[in-house]
Amino acid sequence: MIIETVKNRIRIKDKVSSWEEAIREAAQPLLEDGCIHESYIDAMIENVIQNGPYMVLIPGFALPHARPEMGVEKTGISCLKLNESVLFPENMEVKVVMALAAGDANTHIDALTELTDLLMDDDRMEEFFNSQTESEILGILK
Amino acid sequence: MKGKKNFRARMQAFGGFLTAMVIPNMGAFIAWGFITALFIDTGWLPNKAFAELVSPMSTYLLPLLIAYTGGRVIYGDRGGVAGAIGAIGLIIGADIPMFLGAMIMGPLSAWIMKKFDALIDKKIPAGFEMIINNFSLGIIGMLLCLLSYSFIGPVIVQVNGALTTVIERIVNAGALPLVALLNEPAKVLFLNNVIDQGVYYPLGMQQALDCGKSIYFMVASNPGAGLGLLLAYSLFGKGEAKKTAPGAIIIHFFGGIHEMYFPYVLMKPITIIGMILGSGAGIVTFSLLDVGLVAGPSPGSIFSYLALTPKGNILGVLLGVAVAAAVSFAVNALFIKNSKETDDSQFTQSQEKSKNMKSEGKDILSQVTDTTESVSAPKIKLIIFACDAGLGSSAMGANAFKKKLRAVNIEVPVDHYAIEKVPTEADVIVTHQSLYERAREANPGKRIVTIQNFLKDQNLEALFNEIVESQEKEQ
Repeated sequence: MIIETVKNRIRIKDKVSSWEEAIREAAQPLLEDGCIHESYIDAMIENVIQNGPYMVLIPGFALPHARPEMGVEKTGISCLKLNESVLFPENMEVKVVMALAAGDANTHIDALTELTDLLMDDDRMEEFFNSQTESEILGILK
Repeated sequence: MKGKKNFRARMQAFGGFLTAMVIPNMGAFIAWGFITALFIDTGWLPNKAFAELVSPMSTYLLPLLIAYTGGRVIYGDRGGVAGAIGAIGLIIGADIPMFLGAMIMGPLSAWIMKKFDALIDKKIPAGFEMIINNFSLGIIGMLLCLLSYSFIGPVIVQVNGALTTVIERIVNAGALPLVALLNEPAKVLFLNNVIDQGVYYPLGMQQALDCGKSIYFMVASNPGAGLGLLLAYSLFGKGEAKKTAPGAIIIHFFGGIHEMYFPYVLMKPITIIGMILGSGAGIVTFSLLDVGLVAGPSPGSIFSYLALTPKGNILGVLLGVAVAAAVSFAVNALFIKNSKETDDSQFTQSQEKSKNMKSEGKDILSQVTDTTESVSAPKIKLIIFACDAGLGSSAMGANAFKKKLRAVNIEVPVDHYAIEKVPTEADVIVTHQSLYERAREANPGKRIVTIQNFLKDQNLEALFNEIVESQEKEQ
């Protein structure tokens, strides 16, 4: 499930200059696919500023998102893998940013359930953080 | 040893459960008692319009309230609703007030609902809980309602018929005091009008034609035994029961509304023995002194008694009432005094709390409760993960936590919401520490567990352990 929505929305970069850029970069594929409007990206960034980096779900992994009414057209998840970690507020190091656009409260739950499994699996996450290519990432997500 | 202890604990829990069903509704009984005593034809201020309230209130309102409360004790609001739906079926099916039926059907329906929910909980896709919950309650409620409708009516008719036959036999055999054995349980079952008007009053009228008076008018309507019971509660009862009993005396003894004492019997069923002995002693006294009334007292208050007593019988009638009261008081005082049941004032605070309080000392809860909360821990029935939007981090957190619980076979509902939309039934709100202020503001009084990480966090770990422990204790 998650692989279907993330496929073709994966980007790999060596590094980014700020966490804001990381979110913009991660969300770019969703914007290009028409899942979200620009406003949603701003909302995600605003969300981190307002509420703190609680979207950093486990060390190294962030799931930025905002409310559907901030500019979601359809549900989608995209992924940015950084080779060098970027610092989120409160000095949280992040290497994987998955931008979540949820059209409503439910359609994305299956994907998130899968993602939860992945996040709880230390070995697979280790692989994820060290991955270099899109096909590697797809292999981990599968 | 252990089995014995368990049994006693169970009996206590059961007695407390009955109390918990009845006591919260005493106010409704009293309202109804006043309306009845005041406005019925033979009341103090007869009023046709207001008197119309009497029957629907006792037929529908009171049993439904009891069924709702009973269901609620078992399974929260959902259980209460299931209980009320189930009970209305038997109320309509029986077309007499169904107090005892409601006390069975209410909790039973709630229990069925609870079991069903536990059964399907795993299988509900996230997000569909609301619709499935509403429909499952609706459908199961409907079935329970139909079932109780179709079964209970015929059962009541049967019981009624059997009762009438037995009473007629006892009367024919001349063992009149023995009818108390049937009268008292039948009264509490709200069959009092049926037996009075169906059996005793016709017999009494026949006799009164011949002799000018009859004892049959007094066998089931003597207010003495009820007075004794309520006096016993007034002096030796505890909590709410003690406080409400004096008021009930006025409505029962002077107003003649015997229904006022039924809840007190229902909350401690053993007192039926005192009622039977009291009434029996009353009948013995009446027959020894050869007294009777000239007509059926309705309502059965001390005033109607005096008004219907023929000349020369006043002393005997009063004595019969007094003996009934004295015997019932003595026996019931013994029961009430010696009962070690948890008193009902605790019950208004719900059974679970007291259960938890006992084990509280051993629990290590401190690290889980947030900084402003006390350490008291009611049972956790619904955990809500909350974040800003209620669909990202909180959904993941809820998912992970649910999985973790499921891995150890614990089924506590876990859901996710936006902070401002957390349902009021939530027992615990889990949210990120940076969202604490908002969560506190939007959900005053709730227990909030703050975490730094929705998936792996020591406070989350502690909450998990707490739930596991409390579940183990229950088993």
